[in-house]
Amino acid sequence: MSLYSTAVKKPILTALCFLAIVVFGLFSLTRLSVDLYPDIETNQVMVITAYQGASAADIETNVSKVMENTLNSVSNLKHIKSSSKENISVVTLEFEYGTDITEATNDIRDKLDQVSNYLPDEVSSPIIFKFGTDDIPIVILSVTANESMSALYKILDDKVVNPLNRISGVGTVSLSGIPKRQIYVYCDPNKLEAYNLGIETISSIIAAENRNVPGGNIDMGSNTFSLRVQGEFSDARELADIVVGSYNGGNIYLRDVARIDDRTEERAQEAYITNTSTRGERFVGKSGGIIIIQKQSGANSVSISNKVLEKMPELQATLPSDVDLGVIVNTSTSIENTINSLIETILVTFIVVLFVVLFFLGRWRATFIVMLTIPISLIASFIYLMASGNTLNIISLSSLSIAIGMVVDDAIVVLENVTNHIEKGSEPKQAAIHGTNEVAISVIASTLTMLAVFLPLTMVPGMAGIMFRQLGWIVSIIMIVSTIGALTLIPMLCSQLLRLNPTKGKIYDLLFSPIEKGLDKLDYFYAKVLSWTVVNRMKTIILSLGIFFSSLFLLKIIPTEFFPTMDGGRIGVTLEFPMGTRMEIARDLALKIMDEFNEKYPEINAASFTAGQADTDNTFASIQSNGSHIVSWNINLSSVGDRERGLEEICDLMRKDLEKYPEIKKSKVLAGGGASMGGQTSVDVEIIGYDFDQTNAVAKMLTDKISNVKGIASINNTREEYAPEYQVDFDREKLALHGLNMTTVASYLRNRINGSTSSYYREDGDEYDITVRYAPQFRQSIEDLENIIVYNNQGKGIRIRDLGKVVEKMSPPTIERKNRERILTLNAYLGPGGVLGDVAAEIQQILADADIPSTVSTNISGSFEDQQDTFRDLGLLGALIILLVFIVLAAQFESLTDPFIIMFSLPFAFTGVFIGLALTNTPLGVMSMIGIIMLFGIVVKNGIVLIDYTILNRERGMAIKQAVVDAGRSRLRPVLMTTLTTVLGMIPMAVGLGEGSEMWKSMGMTVAWGLAFSTLITLVLIPTLYTTFAKNGLVRRRKAFSRSLKKQNNNI
Amino acid sequence: MKAVFISFDLAHYDNIVKILDRTSNRGFTAWENIQGRGSKTGEPHYGSHAWPGSNGAIMSMVNDERVASLLRELKKLDELRPALGLRAFVMNVEDCI
Repeated sequence: MSLYSTAVKKPILTALCFLAIVVFGLFSLTRLSVDLYPDIETNQVMVITAYQGASAADIETNVSKVMENTLNSVSNLKHIKSSSKENISVVTLEFEYGTDITEATNDIRDKLDQVSNYLPDEVSSPIIFKFGTDDIPIVILSVTANESMSALYKILDDKVVNPLNRISGVGTVSLSGIPKRQIYVYCDPNKLEAYNLGIETISSIIAAENRNVPGGNIDMGSNTFSLRVQGEFSDARELADIVVGSYNGGNIYLRDVARIDDRTEERAQEAYITNTSTRGERFVGKSGGIIIIQKQSGANSVSISNKVLEKMPELQATLPSDVDLGVIVNTSTSIENTINSLIETILVTFIVVLFVVLFFLGRWRATFIVMLTIPISLIASFIYLMASGNTLNIISLSSLSIAIGMVVDDAIVVLENVTNHIEKGSEPKQAAIHGTNEVAISVIASTLTMLAVFLPLTMVPGMAGIMFRQLGWIVSIIMIVSTIGALTLIPMLCSQLLRLNPTKGKIYDLLFSPIEKGLDKLDYFYAKVLSWTVVNRMKTIILSLGIFFSSLFLLKIIPTEFFPTMDGGRIGVTLEFPMGTRMEIARDLALKIMDEFNEKYPEINAASFTAGQADTDNTFASIQSNGSHIVSWNINLSSVGDRERGLEEICDLMRKDLEKYPEIKKSKVLAGGGASMGGQTSVDVEIIGYDFDQTNAVAKMLTDKISNVKGIASINNTREEYAPEYQVDFDREKLALHGLNMTTVASYLRNRINGSTSSYYREDGDEYDITVRYAPQFRQSIEDLENIIVYNNQGKGIRIRDLGKVVEKMSPPTIERKNRERILTLNAYLGPGGVLGDVAAEIQQILADADIPSTVSTNISGSFEDQQDTFRDLGLLGALIILLVFIVLAAQFESLTDPFIIMFSLPFAFTGVFIGLALTNTPLGVMSMIGIIMLFGIVVKNGIVLIDYTILNRERGMAIKQAVVDAGRSRLRPVLMTTLTTVLGMIPMAVGLGEGSEMWKSMGMTVAWGLAFSTLITLVLIPTLYTTFAKNGLVRRRKAFSRSLKKQNNNI
Repeated sequence: MKAVFISFDLAHYDNIVKILDRTSNRGFTAWENIQGRGSKTGEPHYGSHAWPGSNGAIMSMVNDERVASLLRELKKLDELRPALGLRAFVMNVEDCI
């Protein structure tokens, strides 16, 4: 017994099976977490190694090079980059997409073990750092304060960080831009000199005084007591009373030589906030800090963000009255907006498809049966999402929206045939079984062609692969479920719900009679067109080819892109002042600009900027460039629906505003906050060469030339400017003369300027550094440095000026390397109207024409490289898919000619896409490429239906032309119906207005235009081509027959 | 006793068995999924791609007096659904065991 007859004969079993799928699917839905993107594991691993006190060049030779040489042998490595700056080496390993990063990390760890012997002894052990989508902060809060600023760290740590950490799912909560408390012992060098004291002595005395020592146990009578010495300071002021030495019989107290300052860190990153506080108060450029909240991996971003926000008023109540919390970034709102707009798209699509089906079928019951497949197949895909540990995200929901228009196709074909049988007089039950039986093969075949397209999508390599793996799986699964449904549930429902002679009410007549008449007229018209074309075959074919080839000229005016820049409402701005600018100066100008921006752009929801040098133990900040001359901003705009100006437009205006300030040396305005996906597109020119001067010169020349290229918004040079620094050149002979060596004097110098941290002050369970150093007023000039006294073993004090010279020098702050060569990269960012393909071509031309020394080589990378890689991958995939589709068709028709004819609908899909993209001025990017690949499977469906029925007609004994015209007339409605459901199903996506819709716009546009146009041409061209091929075949067979007849006659 | 050979579109199967029951003819032999076509207008039923649909056939040995009523019932069914196709042929039975 076949599948469908079982299904029809056992309606309860069938219904319950699908009910079970729905229940399980809905259950999965409740368990799915919601996120913006699928979990994308990073393809980059960073190895961070600190080498205290080494300069960029030292780090490059001693650490980065050694690391690169060893790590280069890790498998699946794409690029190895390193950046060597003072004290730190960051080696970035970029792997091919799809590499198992956990395994790669283990490999790296093994290699690092090998390399440890070749590194200098003082190098700290390397840290391996991965940054995945899970590490993206889910909520960023702002804190502002007035009087409480100095104690803010402690207040927030106790009252905000700890409670937030207790929320389940919250990973780490970190504070940024909020200075920590520190206890400084500011010494007066003159007094120290007078009492013959050094920083080292004081530091060690403090360490010795500030200790708790257990003294063991003591037995007294029948009891045992433990003995302890509690020497730790209980108040910072106690420090002042320590005796640090004696002079002329009198005690010298610390207060005699130093000032104890219990304050915040001296040199910290400061943050300034523009935001609306939880109390509804708007403030601009107020000092404060940022609280960054990350989630645990795999946790639900939306629910955690909501929990954090729910907790905010409660936390605010516990804070001092001048401390205000505010929200800068809340990913949950953008996720919710995006997801809601997608759900809206899905509902609109559903309704559109419903009306198309109703329009053609004209029967409520039939429409109901067909539409039922949509929720069932969509819900079934939730089971896959849960089983594979995925989330509800942009990709998975968009896949649902893409699939809606296609899932009804199978059901429509089955239902249409069953209805035919019923109209012929079969009992609904028999009709359901036979009707399904007849079309089962072609339904399965058309599903197979779709699978031939979507299953290979799960194997796309690279960045696009990560995005489209889910799309491929979801659509494949939905197609499979809908086909199974079409072969079981649909016949079962038909047998139960359809009636032999349904009574038609007046409303039906009123509504559907004109539609019916119209459709009849269309059928008649189409048959007439076909009768003309099958006679005038050459004209039709030449005209069609003409249309195709002339559409190729449109390619010239269609812009290309990689991924569309998504309007996530975030802008990252970096202002760079001349090297060495004091933080206060940079900060004041930034505050002024903040005021200006706040007035000019009411779209700004919240903004924050940090200024100043980051702490060395702040790993996150040390990866980004920072320094007293750099100010970096994070600007958050209100959501897309609430503002008129787009992200790019605002960015461009900001760029113009920043140009007005001559103080700013370099400014960078990046849409999307510099995020990797959907961030701003750039063409990167890599300049490779060892000699700094040479590469700098080339960079300057190229920058001048490239900035003239149309469509470039800004150019950024990754090599930072040479930083001025003071170096102390010691004379080794003089050092030896005084019994000193380089290390000793260097540490003397460091302890006085940077300070020596010898001990910790403990209070309420927290530890604060006690740092001993010169008071600020004694370390402000070169004389101050030269006057530093170094004590040798004999206790004799010698001034630095007697040991060496203080000289000013310039040195590169960072040395970047890629694939083991020194590199400098120019990032040319595209502005509005910039077309990636054109800009890259122009830049390539500039590089070819430029006069570049032979020791320097250039290369183009960045978005352009990614685009080229992805386009190549997708092109290959497209070819593979066409071949697969051909195989499926050839197998179904048991012929090579028929699939060949059907494949002629493909070129016109391209024509439709080109026309659509050119008319709407949509760029051709990865998303449209995916749309084109999807079209390969979709457009052949119409051809299959037409050719299949034509062959059937011929088998029934019709003449070729008659068979073609008849097939056309009888198949026009199903073809129009399935096409319209798919095309109209794509339209809500193609016109998408909601947040995150930019991503899918071009894909929807591509599929809608490609399919619509290809269908129009297919309907005329495919029958014509078929007639030609069939005629030729017939003529050949006749000739062969007459030849064999002649042969026979001759033989006789 | 007469042999009645009924050839029909398989969709009729359940109805014909019902008619046999109603006309008190218990015994029959049935073939399902067989091919055939009508002599004048009957569409081919080949179970193929071009001619989907299959025929069924039932041979029933009927007492002479019941033949007329059976044929009447079958004709009624055929007229109800002319598009499906149903024919019955009556033959003599020479002998039986």
